[in-house]
Amino acid sequence: MGKCWIGICFILIVLWIVPVPACATSALETIQSQVNKVLEVLRNPAENKAAKEKKILSMADSIFDYSELSRRTLANYWKSFSPEQQKEFTSLFGKLLAGVYMDRIMQYTNEKVTFGKETKLSEDSVEVQSGVVTKTNTIPMLYRMIQEKGDWRIYDVSIEGVSLVSNYRTQFREILANKTPEDLLETLRKKVAQP
Amino acid sequence: MNHGKGEYLLNRILPVIFALILFLMNPAGAFAFFPSTEPQISPIQGEERTFITDTDSIRNEAPTSFVVEKKGPDRGEPGQERSDELNDLSTREKEEVVVQISDPLLPWNKAMYHFNDKFYFWVLKPVTQGYTYIAPEPLRIIFNNFFDNFRAPGRFVNNLFQLKMKDAGNELIRFVFNSTAGVGGLADAAKDALGIQKTPADFGQTLGHYGIGHGFYIIWPILGPSSLRDTIGSIGDRALYPLSYISFTNIPFEVATGMAGFETVNKTSFQIGDYETFKKAAIDPYISMRDSYVQNRKETVGK
Repeated sequence: MGKCWIGICFILIVLWIVPVPACATSALETIQSQVNKVLEVLRNPAENKAAKEKKILSMADSIFDYSELSRRTLANYWKSFSPEQQKEFTSLFGKLLAGVYMDRIMQYTNEKVTFGKETKLSEDSVEVQSGVVTKTNTIPMLYRMIQEKGDWRIYDVSIEGVSLVSNYRTQFREILANKTPEDLLETLRKKVAQP
Repeated sequence: MNHGKGEYLLNRILPVIFALILFLMNPAGAFAFFPSTEPQISPIQGEERTFITDTDSIRNEAPTSFVVEKKGPDRGEPGQERSDELNDLSTREKEEVVVQISDPLLPWNKAMYHFNDKFYFWVLKPVTQGYTYIAPEPLRIIFNNFFDNFRAPGRFVNNLFQLKMKDAGNELIRFVFNSTAGVGGLADAAKDALGIQKTPADFGQTLGHYGIGHGFYIIWPILGPSSLRDTIGSIGDRALYPLSYISFTNIPFEVATGMAGFETVNKTSFQIGDYETFKKAAIDPYISMRDSYVQNRKETVGK
C-alpha cells in the first residue's frame, strides 16, 4: 500500500515537472536537417562551385541568427552603437561570418558529420554537440541555438572549445577600447570588401 | 568488478606521487604558479581571470560574480577594471565565460607571431605542398598513425595523473593493440577494429587539472602559441615521447631534427588551408589566436 502511494506521488511529480513537449521540431532535428541539406548540395556533382555557394549562402542566412550573434558579440558595447550602426554592424558581421563559413565548408572532402546530444542552456536556448570526422581525427563542434517564434537558429558555434562569439568579442573589445564604433564599422567594411 | 582497493590506493597515492614529481621537476618555480594553496580551488578559478557575464548573477552577487585570481608575480593588469563593464550589461548574456591570459611579453610575442606567419607561408606551406604532391594520402595517414602511436604513452600517463582511469586504460589498450595488431602503429587498429577513440592528454593539461594557471602567454618560434605552464608541460611530454629518447642518444642531431620536421610537415599536410581561413576570419589575428589558444586549452583542461 505504502509503495503504491509513493508510486502515485512519483508519477504526479514527474507529470508536473516534465513540461508538455512542444510540437515544433527540436534544435537537434533542425541543425541535422540543415547540415544534411548543405552536404547534399556539396556532394551534388552536377552543380558548379558558384551555384553551390549561392545555395549554401541562402541556407546559412536562414539558419544563423545574425542579430543575436552580433548582440552577443558586442555584449555591453552593443548599447554604444546607434540603431543604424547596430543594423550595419549586423549586416557586415553576418557577411563576414557567412564568408568564413563558406570558406570552411567549400574545403569539404566527404568528411562524416556526426551529431550528439542536445543540452538545454536556458529557457529558449540549447547546445547541440556535433563532430566532423576527418581522416586523422574528430573535430568537436558545438552549435548554440536559440528559439524564436518556434524556429531554432544558431547564435554561436564552438569549434574545439573555441567559441566564435567569445573570440570575436575579445577582438572587438580590444578595438573598441581605443576606437569608436564608426572605426570598427570601417574596419569591417574593408574586411568584407576584400575578396 | 573488484577495484575498490585499487582505486583507493590510486586515489590516495597518485596525487602524492604526482606532487613529488612536480616538486622534483621544478623545485623553484612550480609552486609560484599555484593560484592558492587551498586544495579545493577549481582549475578554472586558478587558471585565468574568469568572470561570468550573467546579468542576474551580477545583480545578486556583484562582488563575487567574477573571480580575480590570487596575485602572482607575473600577472598583467588587474581584473578589477572590468567590473564596471559588467554592471551595465544589458542583454541575455548567460553562461558566457570570458577567459583572459596575461601577455607581458607582447613585443616578443608579436614578433614571433609575424615570424611564424612568414615561416608558414614561405617555408612550411610550400614544403608541405611539395610533400603532398609526392606522398599519396594513404601513406601520409600511415605516417600520422605511426607518430601518433608514440604519443600514446604520454596520453596514458597524463590520463593516469588526472585519475581518468577509463581513459588511461583505453590509451594503454590502444598502444598495445596498435603496436602489435596495428603493425608498430602504422594503422589505428584500435579505432578501426575495437572502436576505441584516443583521449588527448598532455602534461600542461595535467598541471591545469591540478589548478596551476597559465602564468603568461608566450609564442615560440615555429612551435607556436603556448604559455609558461604549457611550455613546462611540453618538456614533460617530451620526456614521455619515446622518439625523443632515440634522438637524444643514438641519432645525430640533424637526423633528429629532420624527423621532427618530417612529423610537422606530415601533420600540416592534413591542415593546409586552416591557417589561411583563420586569418581571413580574424579582425585582429594576433588577439584572435591568443584567445583561441586560451579557450581551447581551457576546454582541454576542463574535460
